[in-house]
Amino acid sequence: MMFVLRMAGRETRASWRRLLFFFVCIAVGVAAIVALRSVIQSVRAVIGGEARSLIAGDVLIASNRDWPESARAVIDRRLAEAGATARTETVETPTMVRPADPAKRVAKMAELRAVQGGFPLYGAITLQSGQAYSHALVENHGALVRPEVLTVLGVNVGDQIAIGQAAFTIRGVIAAEPGRRVGGFGLGPRVLIDFADVPSTGLLGFGSRADRRLHVQVPDEHVDSLVTTLRRELRDEFITTRSYRSTEDQIGRDFDRAENYLSLVGLVIVILGGIAVSSVTRVFILQKIRSIAVLKCVGARNAQIIAVYVLQVVALGLAGSLLGVAIARAAVAAIPFALGPSSTSLLAQARYGITLSAAAQGIAIGVLISVLFAVVPLLQVRFIKPSLLLRDEGRGRRRDWLSIATGVVVAAALVAITAWQASSLRIGLVVCAGFCGLAVVLHLAGRGLVAVLAPLAQARSFPLRHAVLHLSRPGNQTRVVLLAVGLGAFFIVGIRSLQASLLDEFSVQTSADSPDMFLLDVQRGQRDAVAAFLSDSSHGSGEFRLIPVMRARVAGVSGREATLNDVEDVRQRRPSLGREFTITYRDHLESNERVVDGAFWSSPATEPEVSVESGIAARAHLHVGDTIRFDILGRSISPRITSIRDVEWRESRNGGFVFVFRPGPLDQAPQTFVAPLRGPRDPASRGRFQHDLVERFPNVSVIDFHEVLETIRDVMRKVTLAITVVGGLVLFSGALILIGAVAMTKFQRVYEAAVFKTLGANTRTIGRMLLFEYGVLGTVAGVIGSAGAVVLTWGVSKYALEIPWKIPAGEHLAGVVLTAVLVAVIGVAASLDVLRHKPLATLRAE
Amino acid sequence: MIELREVSKTVMSGSEPLTILHPLTLEIPRGQFVAVVGPSGSGKSTLLGLIAGLDEPTSGDVLVGGVTITRLSEDALAKLRGEKIGFVFQFFHLIPSLTAYENVSVPMEIAGAPDPRSRAQALLDEVGLTGRAHHYPSQLSGGEQQRVALARALANDPPILLADEPTGNLDSSNGRHILELLQNIHRARGTTIVLVTHDADLAAVADARLVLRDGRVVERIA
Repeated sequence: MMFVLRMAGRETRASWRRLLFFFVCIAVGVAAIVALRSVIQSVRAVIGGEARSLIAGDVLIASNRDWPESARAVIDRRLAEAGATARTETVETPTMVRPADPAKRVAKMAELRAVQGGFPLYGAITLQSGQAYSHALVENHGALVRPEVLTVLGVNVGDQIAIGQAAFTIRGVIAAEPGRRVGGFGLGPRVLIDFADVPSTGLLGFGSRADRRLHVQVPDEHVDSLVTTLRRELRDEFITTRSYRSTEDQIGRDFDRAENYLSLVGLVIVILGGIAVSSVTRVFILQKIRSIAVLKCVGARNAQIIAVYVLQVVALGLAGSLLGVAIARAAVAAIPFALGPSSTSLLAQARYGITLSAAAQGIAIGVLISVLFAVVPLLQVRFIKPSLLLRDEGRGRRRDWLSIATGVVVAAALVAITAWQASSLRIGLVVCAGFCGLAVVLHLAGRGLVAVLAPLAQARSFPLRHAVLHLSRPGNQTRVVLLAVGLGAFFIVGIRSLQASLLDEFSVQTSADSPDMFLLDVQRGQRDAVAAFLSDSSHGSGEFRLIPVMRARVAGVSGREATLNDVEDVRQRRPSLGREFTITYRDHLESNERVVDGAFWSSPATEPEVSVESGIAARAHLHVGDTIRFDILGRSISPRITSIRDVEWRESRNGGFVFVFRPGPLDQAPQTFVAPLRGPRDPASRGRFQHDLVERFPNVSVIDFHEVLETIRDVMRKVTLAITVVGGLVLFSGALILIGAVAMTKFQRVYEAAVFKTLGANTRTIGRMLLFEYGVLGTVAGVIGSAGAVVLTWGVSKYALEIPWKIPAGEHLAGVVLTAVLVAVIGVAASLDVLRHKPLATLRAE
Repeated sequence: MIELREVSKTVMSGSEPLTILHPLTLEIPRGQFVAVVGPSGSGKSTLLGLIAGLDEPTSGDVLVGGVTITRLSEDALAKLRGEKIGFVFQFFHLIPSLTAYENVSVPMEIAGAPDPRSRAQALLDEVGLTGRAHHYPSQLSGGEQQRVALARALANDPPILLADEPTGNLDSSNGRHILELLQNIHRARGTTIVLVTHDADLAAVADARLVLRDGRVVERIA
C-alpha cells in the first residue's frame, strides 16, 4: 500500500502539468453543476419560503367569473367550519390604462389588481419611495403602479390615469409585491387599486376575463381538509382552490426539475472531460510503457500498478473538482453584483453561496467520471510485458473479457450517475443513449472526413501532406478533439440557427398585411360602434373582423369510442378536453382551415352542430357523428360533430378555434367579440389609436403584437444567450482538451520536428505544417458541428416548433470558419516550443 | 540455483517462425559468476530474459531456487523477481519521472521492506553516488545511470543478479567501474551473477563462460 501511495504521489508530481488541461475540463463541468444547483437551491429557498405570500394567504380560492351565490354559500360555510381567521378579496384582470389628460394620447395594457383592506394576508407591498404601504393609499380612486407605467404613459406620481370608465390618482410606485411570479410572462405592468372602486371602472361586465380571488387565513391543521372539501364540493363550478402547501409542492417540483435538467448540462461537460481523460489515459499508458515494464521487472504486480494510476486519476479528479467548486463559488458570489444593488426581484433576496449538497455532488461526479473513464484504458497495463525491456516487440491493444465486463460496468455506472443527476432513470437512459449516439456519429463523421482528406496526403505541398498524415498518426488525439470541439460548435451553431429561423418566422408573421393588433371584450352593444370606429380611416387602422366568442366547457361526450357523463368524467378520462375553451360560430371555413372528415356547413340551422379541430379530435378520440355536451355560461347545448378540421395554427391570427359552431342556435346567446386587425404603422400612431379606442370603449382591451413580439424577442435573446454560454463552455472545454492533446503528443512532435530540421526543413515549413494540421482539424470539427446543427434545426423546426426549416448559411459558414481559426490558433500556439527546440539536443535525448 | 531444462524460444518474424534459442539444458550453481558471450542476435539476452521470467519459453522449464518459474502466474513471477532476482539492462531503464533515490527505493517499497530510505541511501553510497541521490535520470551521465540501475538491482539483496550488457552503452572507464562493482558484489555478497556481454575482456573475469551462436551453445568453459 505504501508503495502504491508513494508511487502515485511521484507520478502525479511528474505528470500533472501534462494532464492539467483535462482536469481543468472536469473542473469546468463540475463548476457548472455546483453553480447551477447552488443558485437554484438558493432561489428556491427564498421562493419556497414565501409560498404563503405568493398566494397572499394560506388558501386561495379563485374563479374567472362572478361567484355563483350557491358557491359563495358553500365557501362561507366551509370557511367558518375550518375556523378561518381572516379573508380578503381581490380581482385581477388585464386592462388598458391611459393618462386622464386627453393631451397625452397613449394607452398601455396593464395587469390590474383590485384589493381590499386586509390585503396582503402574508408578505408585503413595498414602495419605491420607502413609504409604508397602507390600504388608504388606494382608497377613493388611488392607484399604485409599476415604474413602467409612468415611463410609457408619460405620467408622474400625483397625475391621473384612466382605467375603464374611471379616473385614478397615482399615489405611489410599486417596488415589490407578493404573488408576482418570478420571470412570469405578464401582459403588462401591475396597477393596484381599491376593490371598492372596481364597479366604477365598468370592467366586470359580461365576458370579462377578470379573476376573482378569495385569500384566506386558516389554522394550519385545517388547510388541507379545507382545500379537499372545497375542491370536491365546487367541482362543477369554474372555481379552483389551492393552498400554500400545494403551491410549495408545485414550486418544489418545478425547481427540482429545473435543477436536475440544468445540471445535466454540467454533467455533459464533465462527461466530455471524462472522454478526454479516457483518451489521454490511453496515450499516457503508451508513454509510460517502459516505466511500467520496469516496475514489473522489479516485482510490481498488475493490481499494484493499476492502483497507482487509479489513485493518480482520483487525485487529479479531486483536484479538478475542487477547482470547479472554487470557480463555482466565485461565479455565484458575483451574481448579486450582476443583478445590481437596486434590483427588486425575488432573485435579489436570495443568499448566494455554494450549498454543501451541490458541492458534494459536484465533487463526487468529478471524481467518479474521471475514474470511470480512466479505468478501461488502464486495464491495458496488464498486457505490458517486462520482456519489452530486452526486445522491442509489437504491442497492439487487446480486448479481453475483463475489459469488456469493465466497459459494461462503467456504462451502467454512467447511466446511474446521469439518472441520479436527472432524478429519472428514463432521462438518464435517454441522455446517455443520446450522448453515445452523438459520440458515435461524431466519431464516424470524424473518421469519414479524415478518410475523405486522405488523398491530400499525396498533395504537392510538403507541409499539407504531412499535416494530413499527422491526423492519423499513432496515438493521435484527432477523434477526441473532433468530439469535444465538434460538440461545442454543434451547440452554438445549432442554437444560433434555431434562433435565426424563429426570429425569421416571427417577422414573417408580423410582416405582410397580417393582423398585428387584437381587440378583446367588445360587448354586443358596442359591436357596431367599434366596427364604425375601425372603418374610419382617420384612425389609421387597416382591415379588421369582429368574431363572436363564448367561453365553454365540455360537460359530456356521447360517441363512438366513449361516453363521458360529466365534467369530472371528462377531466379524468379526456384531460385534453378538461380545460375551458373559447368557441365561436360562423358559416365559412377560414383560409387556414381544411376539412379532413365530414362536411362543413354553409348556412345556419336550428339543430346545433360543431366542427372539431383535428389534433384535439385525435387526442380525445372524437369522431364525426359523436355528440358533445357543452356548458356555455351555465347553459347546456349538445351539438353533433359534423366535421373535423385541420387548422394551420401558424396562420391562426384570423381565428384559430378548436370548436366552431354552426350559426343558428348560438346567435342570440350572451357573447362578446374579439377583433384581429391591422393597426397603424408607426409606434406613435399605434399609441394614439389605442388611446382613442379605449377612450371611447373603456372596457375593450388591446393586445399589440408588436409589444408581444418584442417581449418574445427579449425572452429568446436571453434563452439564446444562456444556451450560447453553455455551448461556449463546451467549446471552451474542447479548447482545453485540444491544448491538453497537443501537450500530450508534444514529445512525439518535438522528435519529428528535430528529424525534419536535420533533413533540411526550416522553422517556417514546420510552422506551416502545424498550421495546416490544426486548420484542417478545426475545419473538420466545424463541418461536423455545422452538419449536426443542420440535423438539429431540421428536427426541432419540423417536430417541435412546426416552422419551415431554413439553413442560415451565414451562421454555418461563420461557425466553420471561426472553429477552424480557433483550433488553428490554439493548436499552433500550444505547439510553439516544438519550433524552438534545437534538433541535436532532442535527437541525443532519444 | 538456476536450472534450464530443454528450454527453447521461437518467435514470429513477420509470418515466419524464427528460433532464437534452440533447446538448451544448463545448471548454474549458487554463487557462480557466469558470463554469456556471443555476437549480436545469438540469443544471449533471450536466455537472460527466460531466467528472469521476463519472457516465456516456447518449450522446456526454467527452475530458480528449485521453483519451476515457467508455471508461475504473471504476478507470482513479479514477486519472485522482486525478492530473488536483480536485473541490470544495457539501456539502464530507470523510471524517468523518479529521482535516483526513488528509483532505488521502488523495489523495496513493492516488497514492503522495512526502512527503504536508509537502505536506498546506503546502496547509492555503495555505488559511489552519495551526492546524486536527488537527481533525475536525465540529469545523470550514462555511467551514473547504470550505477543507479545496479543499486536498484541490489535493493532487496537478491541472491541472483542478471546483467544484460551492462557496459555496452558506456565508455571504457565507466564500463570498468561497473565491472569492478559487479566483482565486488559477487565477492562480498556471494551473489550468483549471470553477465551477458560480447566483450571478451569482460567475460574473462567470470568463473565460467557460455558461448552462444545462432541460438545454440557452441562452447562451455568452466
